[in-house]
Amino acid sequence: MRLTYSQIQGELNSRDLAALPPLRIAVLRNVVVEPIEPYLRYFAYRMGCNARCEFSDYDNVFQEAVGGHKGILDAQTDCVAVFLKLETLSWDLARNFAGLTVGRIEEEADRIREFVSRVLVGIRQKTNAMILWNSFELPPHPSLGIFDYQQAHGQTATIDQLNRFLGDALSDHRNAYLLNLNACLARVGARSFYDLRYWHLGKAPYSREALEEIGGEMFKYIRPLKGKNRKCLVLDCDNVLWGGIIGEEGLAGIKLGKTYPGSAYHEFQQEILNLHRRGVVLALCSKNNEADVWEVFAQHPDMLLRKEHIATARINWDDKVTNLTRIAEDLNLGLESVVFVDDSQFEADQVRQCLPQVEVVQLPSSRAVEYRDILAAGGWFDAPTLSQEDRHRGTMYKAEEARKELQAQSRDLTSFYASLEMILEIRNVDEFTVSRVAQLTQKTNQFSLTTRRYSDAEIHALSESASADVIHCRLQDRFGESGLTGVCILRYERDRALIDSFLLSCRVLGRGIEDALLVQCMKRARSRGCTVAVGEYRPTAKNEQVKDFYPNHAFRRVAGNPELHYFELDLTSFDGLEPPYFHRIDTQFQYRAKVGSQ
Amino acid sequence: MSTRERVLRGVSEVLGRPVASIDDDSSPDNIESWDSLKQMNLVLALEQEFGIRFTDERIVEMLSVRLIVAAVAQLGPQANSDSER
Repeated sequence: MRLTYSQIQGELNSRDLAALPPLRIAVLRNVVVEPIEPYLRYFAYRMGCNARCEFSDYDNVFQEAVGGHKGILDAQTDCVAVFLKLETLSWDLARNFAGLTVGRIEEEADRIREFVSRVLVGIRQKTNAMILWNSFELPPHPSLGIFDYQQAHGQTATIDQLNRFLGDALSDHRNAYLLNLNACLARVGARSFYDLRYWHLGKAPYSREALEEIGGEMFKYIRPLKGKNRKCLVLDCDNVLWGGIIGEEGLAGIKLGKTYPGSAYHEFQQEILNLHRRGVVLALCSKNNEADVWEVFAQHPDMLLRKEHIATARINWDDKVTNLTRIAEDLNLGLESVVFVDDSQFEADQVRQCLPQVEVVQLPSSRAVEYRDILAAGGWFDAPTLSQEDRHRGTMYKAEEARKELQAQSRDLTSFYASLEMILEIRNVDEFTVSRVAQLTQKTNQFSLTTRRYSDAEIHALSESASADVIHCRLQDRFGESGLTGVCILRYERDRALIDSFLLSCRVLGRGIEDALLVQCMKRARSRGCTVAVGEYRPTAKNEQVKDFYPNHAFRRVAGNPELHYFELDLTSFDGLEPPYFHRIDTQFQYRAKVGSQ
Repeated sequence: MSTRERVLRGVSEVLGRPVASIDDDSSPDNIESWDSLKQMNLVLALEQEFGIRFTDERIVEMLSVRLIVAAVAQLGPQANSDSER
């Protein structure tokens, strides 16, 4: 998808970016990297954001991070990108290595460790934004040549150690990551990664191709930060999972196996399976006779994918736009969570045109050997953390299907709920659940009363505040764990409890969990000394279904405006009951002082 | 479109100014926004546009639209991109 500079500019100029939510990127650097800006703006636009990039003055990393020289780091910053090139930071380690004694090497390494530590602390004092710190590049040609690789204190080993130090230092902070610049370098290749002309003319080391790759790598982190990473991979079958057309060539005729030409499809399936194990939900969307496709899954000796890996399938002769929409409905996922893979230009174009939210990947069927790389390079599903929920998402959807079957057999809703044997666990957020809670605030759109987005760091800060409670719930039933799927954030002001956020993952809607969670949270507010609870409803394009949530739970409507509706509940006379059909509601809150008594 | 017209369009895109405001004598000396970063963006954009690659020695001489057109013409649009490597 290499785009030229002017194609990117044209695309950006033709859109009304100002209407999109802002994404503020601050770049601290000791080299010239300004030409990365169009790529960052383009990737941001592709995820529905309007990026604004601000650069520290040249080689002013310390002045900016510690001294706030230009003031580009503040509470509104979403992401801080750090480009510290070793050539500028330490000419000795980068280029003069052959002339250094072991003592001098250690001295320089110490100086750099001290420097980066102070910069890191400086950044964190100014902002909780995500930090993406580019690792030091390993030299394609070390100063000592191949002798370097034999040396415990060689250049490669020294830079490696500095990178490990950086990684450790960053992992001590929330939301701070070492961006693997050497992986970017390897993908592009050193000969194309650097533009030596502009390194000499203007201290701008990286080629356009390199900057596009680095920008792409940055957005693998930024997308999940904003809840924009994708969750579901929808696959065509013929000439995608195997070579040839099953309906024509039959089980023995299709290409699939460990040797050429089937090996390309074997490797592709292995990559898909890896995504499944990372929590990506798999679905099939194929124009075929359904029985033919399942026969391949069940009978072909070289199929790596099995029916149990597939959460849902639409195998019929309807158009793919209709089928993709149905798949998203089946899975209770938005189309903006979907990556659709097909080899047909026609299908790809139609989906691109009708469902622009879907990321469409058109595989080149004449070059199946590239399939695996295309999928692996996309980065659409990437996230720097992998929660338990993520890992088990695939199996959770299978359990959901079993629930639907049971529901179809049950006489009425209450007996269905009771037959699920639901256990609801309600807790304060802790260090293990901060990320998942933040993730839910980022991703939840439908059952969300205020749709306020919070970062890991913000949830962490709220959880430590004496005047707030961050509460979550997790559900399990006879079919398995649904994981952490509900959040309520209470902020206390004297005797009033403001329900700042109240949301449920759409995966567990329609089981009365919201009723139980609300009741427990109101009791919590009362036990902390509150007499009134205030609920807010902030209408968005997607949360219409909760507009009457508070009135339906005995809250009284009070003043508000079209953007923000207020509701109040008198806690002194509150006697709400949890729904009767839960097998158990297990609530344990941390001990906290009453709000009024501080 | 002639080489000159394509260069003018490139300059206009990179500087964000109408083509009509640019002529052969336009240069970093008489257009304020034409700084060294814009110059770099322009050179790289023209390389992509024409499928050519300038040497660093050539780049430092490309100091006006006239000189840029001459530099592009000398390499020849769509010439072998390795011609000056």
